[in-house]
Amino acid sequence: MSHGQPSTSNRASAVRAGLSDPATTISFSEAQLGEVRRLQSLYPDARGALLPVLHMAQETFGYISLEAEEYVATLFDLSPAHVHEVVTFYTLYFRERPGRHVVAVCHNLSCHLAGAPGIIAHLKDKLGIDPGATTEDGRVTFLTVECLCACEAAPMAQVDDRYELNLTPEKIDRLLEGLR
Amino acid sequence: MPKLTVNGKGVEVPAGTNLIEAARTVGVEVPHYCYHPGLSIAGQCRLCMVDIEKTPRPSIACNTVAADGMVVQTETERVRETRKSMMEFHLINHPLDCPVCDQAGECWLQIYYMKHGLYDPRMKDEKVHKPKAVPLGPHVILDAERCILCSRCVRFCDEITHTGELGIFERGDHSEIGLFPGRELDNKYSANVVDICPVGALTDRDFRFQVRVWYLDTAKSICPGCARGCNIEVHVNRRRPHHAEGRRVARLKPRFNAEVNKWWLCDAGRYGFGFVDAAERLLMPARRQGGTSTEATWDEAIAAVAGALRRLTPDQMGIIASPKMSNEDLFALRRLIDLCGVRHVAGQVPPRVPGDEDDFLIRADKNPNSRGAELLGLGGDARTVIEAAGRRRLKLLWIFGHDLLASALPEPDVLEALRVVDTVVFTGSNANWTSAHSHWVLPAAAWVEREGTYTSFEGRVQRFRQAIEPLGQSLAEWEIVTRILAPLGEAPSATRAEHWFRQLAASVPAFAGLSYQLIGDSGRPLAEAART
Ligand code: SF4
Ligand code: FES
Repeated sequence: MSHGQPSTSNRASAVRAGLSDPATTISFSEAQLGEVRRLQSLYPDARGALLPVLHMAQETFGYISLEAEEYVATLFDLSPAHVHEVVTFYTLYFRERPGRHVVAVCHNLSCHLAGAPGIIAHLKDKLGIDPGATTEDGRVTFLTVECLCACEAAPMAQVDDRYELNLTPEKIDRLLEGLR
Repeated sequence: MPKLTVNGKGVEVPAGTNLIEAARTVGVEVPHYCYHPGLSIAGQCRLCMVDIEKTPRPSIACNTVAADGMVVQTETERVRETRKSMMEFHLINHPLDCPVCDQAGECWLQIYYMKHGLYDPRMKDEKVHKPKAVPLGPHVILDAERCILCSRCVRFCDEITHTGELGIFERGDHSEIGLFPGRELDNKYSANVVDICPVGALTDRDFRFQVRVWYLDTAKSICPGCARGCNIEVHVNRRRPHHAEGRRVARLKPRFNAEVNKWWLCDAGRYGFGFVDAAERLLMPARRQGGTSTEATWDEAIAAVAGALRRLTPDQMGIIASPKMSNEDLFALRRLIDLCGVRHVAGQVPPRVPGDEDDFLIRADKNPNSRGAELLGLGGDARTVIEAAGRRRLKLLWIFGHDLLASALPEPDVLEALRVVDTVVFTGSNANWTSAHSHWVLPAAAWVEREGTYTSFEGRVQRFRQAIEPLGQSLAEWEIVTRILAPLGEAPSATRAEHWFRQLAASVPAFAGLSYQLIGDSGRPLAEAART
């Protein structure tokens, strides 16, 4: 996930604010293309590098648009359908531009038993959106996800690239305060 | 070559054979969905489970290579239970809409449920819904709810056409077959995915809802669309004609031939039969005089053409045969040409637009029997005959099938030739500009209405059988020629195409030794010397 990168955030907010879409040209820099080639050489089948290159694309372009899928396909000599397969299979690739922050609450077993439904309801209430959506102002994308491997501190969530453990509604409020 | 036993029967197979194919050689059918002998192995459907001695769990037969000493059982209690469970999995989200599904009757979910399923459904939850009736391209339509995700269609587009249009998107029970947004499934072989889809997920837009498949009759045939000679089956709707609005040919399907087309057929060939039941079919012999056309009897037409042939000198007669005619037609015509000494003879008419070609099946030459025409000396360029007509040499010009006015021949030359020749005769199945300029029109049966053989560009002689009755009074070309030969003093006893083939085999060295029986369903190469 690419959150926390100021350049991406600014662009996203510009779009939300109805300013002109920066119409990113979908292409990597020479240095990035060198990195693509390096990654491809690490695998017996170059296709193995598809996941890291898609992450690069997400970081560079903010999310993985259909144009980005087509662009990545050309780097691998794959049909765009096969890149689309990979992007739609994994949940960590954003197919639409996410908010400036991503709050991903675990709703798997341990967290569920430890009170995740209450946390989720509280977030719905506070943000005014359902899981899967982004707030109107482009501030927060709210997701529910499967186990993130921190059951000992359930209920938990991943906020951007940090784990937030032993959540309570009060802790959520404080966390949201900090997300600008 | 590994030796193994399948259900107690000993079998020896070439190294590398998988267990589905090994079992097949002793008549044992291992049920499967995703395995297709023409595609890579996916191991996706898990239906092909078999028990192998000394292996703790059932294994998939498609991805297990036969090994020496293997003891394979395909019908143990455990295998049957596994199969039944797999069927239950495959059908969990299936809409069970057989009454409105076009695949019914040739659906492997239906067939295997009856053979290997027959469980009581336990599914209580709402089924997952997916896109329905989505056109993927000009020929194929998708119902994603019926799909069992075997990936055959995906592998076809990756491995056979190398176009990669299809993919499996999303995950788990939301997985679905689809196209990259905005793209189409429009490669030149797209409809093959309908044939290999084992269920009703991919159906044929042209064939859909015409007729239930159990009302279809089939005949083995050869595609007349190009010089490759792909083997096909003609499916005709004889039993529910009132549902077809006059359309008798319901669909063409590829027929396996290891030497020619394997399992495949191009879309142009598959959908190229429209002319058979078209409004432009010529149904009756006709004569045109002073701009008006009137129906005639076969007797009148035969007498007129035979009379001209008898009356005229060799230099006054021209014949443009066609590489769309069968070997039998052409051989009968050759006999007539030799008998009358016809001097101006040709067969090839250059097309206005050169045909497309690829490195798979499609050939630029859009005629099924150019090779046969060449071997019978009827492969020459029609330009020479048109020139002779233009120089007012010809009094009779007999054209088979071609539309000279839609060809690369210069139109003024053709119009002049048709204007100055006293008797222009046209023999063909469908009306065209050339037939409209002819004095006599002799209607020919379409290839599905008669039998015969074509010689492919590779020199393979292949039989096509009759699927339906000739429309109106049309006759096979060999039959028309036979009828004209009689008043000319030659009374061949040919009542079937095969008679002409026998004579062809007896007198043309390239065909020596061949017979209908020998050619059979899969064709035979020409005599060694004639192969190129
Ligand atoms: S559409 Fe048919 S061929 Fe393609 S994956 Fe589904 S069931 Fe298999
Ligand atoms: S045929 Fe073997 S797993 Fe599908």
